[in-house]
Amino acid sequence: MSLWVDKHRPRTLDELHYHEGLSARLRALAASGDFPHMLFYGPSGAGKKTRIACTLRELFGKGVEKLKIDQRVFMTPSKRKLDVNVVQSNFHIEITPSEVGNYDRVVIQELLKEIAQTQQVDLNAKQRFKVVIINEADSLTRDAQAALRRTMEKYMSNMRIILCANSTSRLIAPIRSRCLLMRVAAPSPAEMETVLHHVAAKERFHLPDEAAQAIVADSNGNMRKAVLVFEALKMQSTDLTGSLAIAKPDWETYCAKVAELILSEQTPARVMEVRAKFYELLSHCIPASIILKTVAECVVDRVDETLKADIMHWAAIYETRMRIGNKKIFHLDAWVVKVMSLYKQFFYGLDLSGFDE
Amino acid sequence: MLLSDGPSVHKFTCLTKDEFPDASDLLKSHQANEISRDTLVASTSAAASVVCAKTFDGRPVYMGRRTRRSGRTTLTNAAVPGGSTFDKLLGVPIHRLMDQLSDAAAQKLVHEDALAASGTNASARQTDQSDVSLWVDRYRPKCYADLLGDDRVHREVLAWVKEWDHCVFGRSKGKGKKRARAEDDEVVDELRRPKEKILLLSGPPGLGKTTLAHVVAQHAGYNVFEINASDARSAQVVEDRIRPALESGSAVGSSKPNLVVIDEIDGATGGSDHTSGFIQKLINLTFERPQKKGRKKDSKSSRPLLRPIICICNDLYASSLAKLRPIARIVRFSRPSDLHLVRRLRDICAFEGLRAESRALTALVGMAQGDLRGCLNMLQLLKARGKEVTEPAVRMATAGMKEADTSLVIVLNDLFSPLSRKRAKDLGLTEGDEARYVGRLSREVEGTGAMDRVAQGCFEHYANLHQHDSNFDRYLKGHEWLSAYDMMSGEMRSEREYALLQYLSYPLVAFYPLFQERGGLKVERPKVDWENYMKTKTNEEIYKSLAKGLRTASTRHAGDFRHLASDEVLQLELAPLVNRIISPPIRPVNSQVIRPGERALLSRLVNIMVAMDLRFVQEKAEDGQLVYRLDPPIDVFVTYDGKRASDISVSRYAVRHLVAAEIDAKLISRDADSSEKDKRKPNFFRRAQEPTDEGPIMGRDFGSDVLPRKRARPAETAEKVATDFFGRPIVASKHEAVRKVSGGNKVVQTQKYRVVYRFNEGNSAAVRKPVKLEAFL
Repeated sequence: MSLWVDKHRPRTLDELHYHEGLSARLRALAASGDFPHMLFYGPSGAGKKTRIACTLRELFGKGVEKLKIDQRVFMTPSKRKLDVNVVQSNFHIEITPSEVGNYDRVVIQELLKEIAQTQQVDLNAKQRFKVVIINEADSLTRDAQAALRRTMEKYMSNMRIILCANSTSRLIAPIRSRCLLMRVAAPSPAEMETVLHHVAAKERFHLPDEAAQAIVADSNGNMRKAVLVFEALKMQSTDLTGSLAIAKPDWETYCAKVAELILSEQTPARVMEVRAKFYELLSHCIPASIILKTVAECVVDRVDETLKADIMHWAAIYETRMRIGNKKIFHLDAWVVKVMSLYKQFFYGLDLSGFDE
Repeated sequence: MLLSDGPSVHKFTCLTKDEFPDASDLLKSHQANEISRDTLVASTSAAASVVCAKTFDGRPVYMGRRTRRSGRTTLTNAAVPGGSTFDKLLGVPIHRLMDQLSDAAAQKLVHEDALAASGTNASARQTDQSDVSLWVDRYRPKCYADLLGDDRVHREVLAWVKEWDHCVFGRSKGKGKKRARAEDDEVVDELRRPKEKILLLSGPPGLGKTTLAHVVAQHAGYNVFEINASDARSAQVVEDRIRPALESGSAVGSSKPNLVVIDEIDGATGGSDHTSGFIQKLINLTFERPQKKGRKKDSKSSRPLLRPIICICNDLYASSLAKLRPIARIVRFSRPSDLHLVRRLRDICAFEGLRAESRALTALVGMAQGDLRGCLNMLQLLKARGKEVTEPAVRMATAGMKEADTSLVIVLNDLFSPLSRKRAKDLGLTEGDEARYVGRLSREVEGTGAMDRVAQGCFEHYANLHQHDSNFDRYLKGHEWLSAYDMMSGEMRSEREYALLQYLSYPLVAFYPLFQERGGLKVERPKVDWENYMKTKTNEEIYKSLAKGLRTASTRHAGDFRHLASDEVLQLELAPLVNRIISPPIRPVNSQVIRPGERALLSRLVNIMVAMDLRFVQEKAEDGQLVYRLDPPIDVFVTYDGKRASDISVSRYAVRHLVAAEIDAKLISRDADSSEKDKRKPNFFRRAQEPTDEGPIMGRDFGSDVLPRKRARPAETAEKVATDFFGRPIVASKHEAVRKVSGGNKVVQTQKYRVVYRFNEGNSAAVRKPVKLEAFL
């Protein structure tokens, strides 16, 4: 049995709950017979992959849902073996090249060429081309993106590419210009509530409005998260009435705690304490930039208006540095020291630099 | 340039500034002068040798140049103090003069030596020899008793080599040294070899590790076969050189058995990761078992190791040695006491006729930090220069010595505390030198060769210091430097800009002015980062197994879970929430008497856990109590600082027991299902081949999920003409036609056998070809 996220995932364009305009456009494109390369982008949990799956369904019919998942092995030029999980049907193939990090170029080059050079052999297929879906396209390396450029043009007759990314900013311009850009925006709270109610109706129970609002408020336009939280909530307490404690992911709670620590005391000892907390978060595989962002947002919520801009400014600067460098913890710690210093200066209302020594 | 033309300038000292001659004039004359000096022609007629000057009233004055009397030697003489007291300006730069002076002195000494030696031929030969051989070689200990340093180390090594005696020389000494190896082979497995077949000597350079190995080998009656860094050290070498050396037993033309010394092994490649690297091969060599007698001939490649191997390294913890360490006997060298070293040096100096102050020798030893080879080379250098060994001479000569070899902790301590008095004295630094720290420290930081770890050390240590820093000013500065370091090293790695490497040490030096503190806490080896790294690794593994579970789930559930398996979603959303989904409040009651509401909850929980490959595994805790552990242990992702999230109810043992039992039952039924399902997989051939759905040929029903769809469009199937791979319509052959005509009922009645066949349902739809039933019968 699947989780609700999957169980109640819309399968066709008609079943989609929001962004009607987008659905209509996709339907028209699928029907036109002149299907372009596409780039779906938008925040996490907005429904990009769902829409891609629905579009494929529209293009090829029910056959795309007969999936096969296997692992392919690729060899790098230096004879290293790379395992890539490949999801495919008779009409499309789905890969996540970022799984292999810096070697994604190899995967792109070999796999795409292989697909591009074989024609669709099933005569009953509705379309003459196959579709390649590349997930997490924004984490493709530059080399991999470059490898994609020419392939996209050259094998247009055999293959269409659908890229799925969170933002277009990290895709090179030549790729963007070869694709039809499809922005999938995060759903509005009202839309999310309808979806939740739809899920509840399917599961045959009543979802109180307050509960739906609470879940939506907490999930920041992330539909997947909302449904997961909803399911967790339902598992925890069968009747959804009364005051509900919406389960936040633990790392978020922990980040809030860190923010609290930073603001309650500004001493070297506290710097060390916060650092230990950061290490704990990092060891739970939470990406450093997410940590910085979450903690910064929590801090900004609690400080005076005049400090907010500064704190966010420094968070942005340290995030850039984090991306250039390779020791995340240095920059997290540096930001904490910066914030502590800013906060202290503000709190005492004067510059204390003269008091040293 | 002006100064170098001493005499002519001297002439102009009477003139004031505005009448100073053109520099070009001076130059020209000087060049001419050079020529004249070279040719030794004293020509005054040429215009070039006339210098023009002006007096106060503007009247030009021409002066003839004095020519030099002879070549350089006279110049030197003129420059010797006393000879040129009339002039404070030198014709030749001072350093050159000093060199010449020392050259002259040395020549004089040599001359004297030669004079003294001319009497006795023997001593003359000795002096000749002294020019060719290094002192290090000449005074290398020849026998065991000569060895200097820790006796226990020597004895340990010797004892280990002696342990081989039984194996190498045979059990009784009376029987002669060259015992046949075949006889030893008979003693299966127990060849009376020492437990560790390899000896690993480690220690800083110059303490005499190689010497010890050679001396001990000789002492124990072996012939040394040496492989060092100058030889290629690949896996091939083990096969080509070491194995033959070990197996042949003794070198050609020698009666002594071989002992292999592998020097500088820490530079060898392929210890840790490669399976075919040098060190791995070496290890394999030691593990080879003695063969049974009968099979001995056909596999000559795996004979047991019968000769001792001594490996020598500087860095015991080099990553390439990681695999060697557990199986080798490790002997660490430590620095011999300064007193012994000084005594030995004094003896050598006395023997060489070099006058040496013992204070100077002590300073030398202190500076070299026990490196006897370094000391000897230094002394020989001083001797060759003809100097006496005095403290200033030693200081001068050893500038820069040993700076390149420093350990991480020492460097970190140097960064965070000012130089100790003693060390400053050892290095011969003055107050001024001490204040100029950048060069010294940056060299030290570079010398460690592990700047990342120095940076890590700085990062971990600075906040421990008890310095008043109310405004975090210093912290901020320190962090700026760390950021600069990290960005630079990041850039260097990602863009392969290794030119940046030389600047990397400077950002770290900045910690010295910011945080140095006398008597502060000792810096410890940075370890927090490593611990964190290890933890991250384990957690990544858990994520991986969870993702794997999700992927297998998605194959079973028509691709349902696959979108959840991407890293970010997994880490940020799924991991924490799934933990809540799988821990509903269930009462531990028997599954038979459970209430319907709870029953539904339980079955849903079980279904989800089965789908995602999550189990409860029974284990024994340390106190002997049975516990059910979640596997993969994804509950670590709701556990921060060792505390579980408070909103997740801790499921009790009884509950987990109940769930685990249900999961097992579910798994069994699922496995049964899937094997059933395999049997009645829908047939692809059907579509093209069979005109009817309920043909008697199949003998079995199709899965209910396929049938309705098929039935929904019978017209379509009927209309469609069977096509082959290339899309051509297939004309029904005669046989088929006959069968069709004869009608199904007859076939059904007469032939009752069940037809079971398999086909490979491949990935590609390329080979869909109608096959006649006869082909299977």
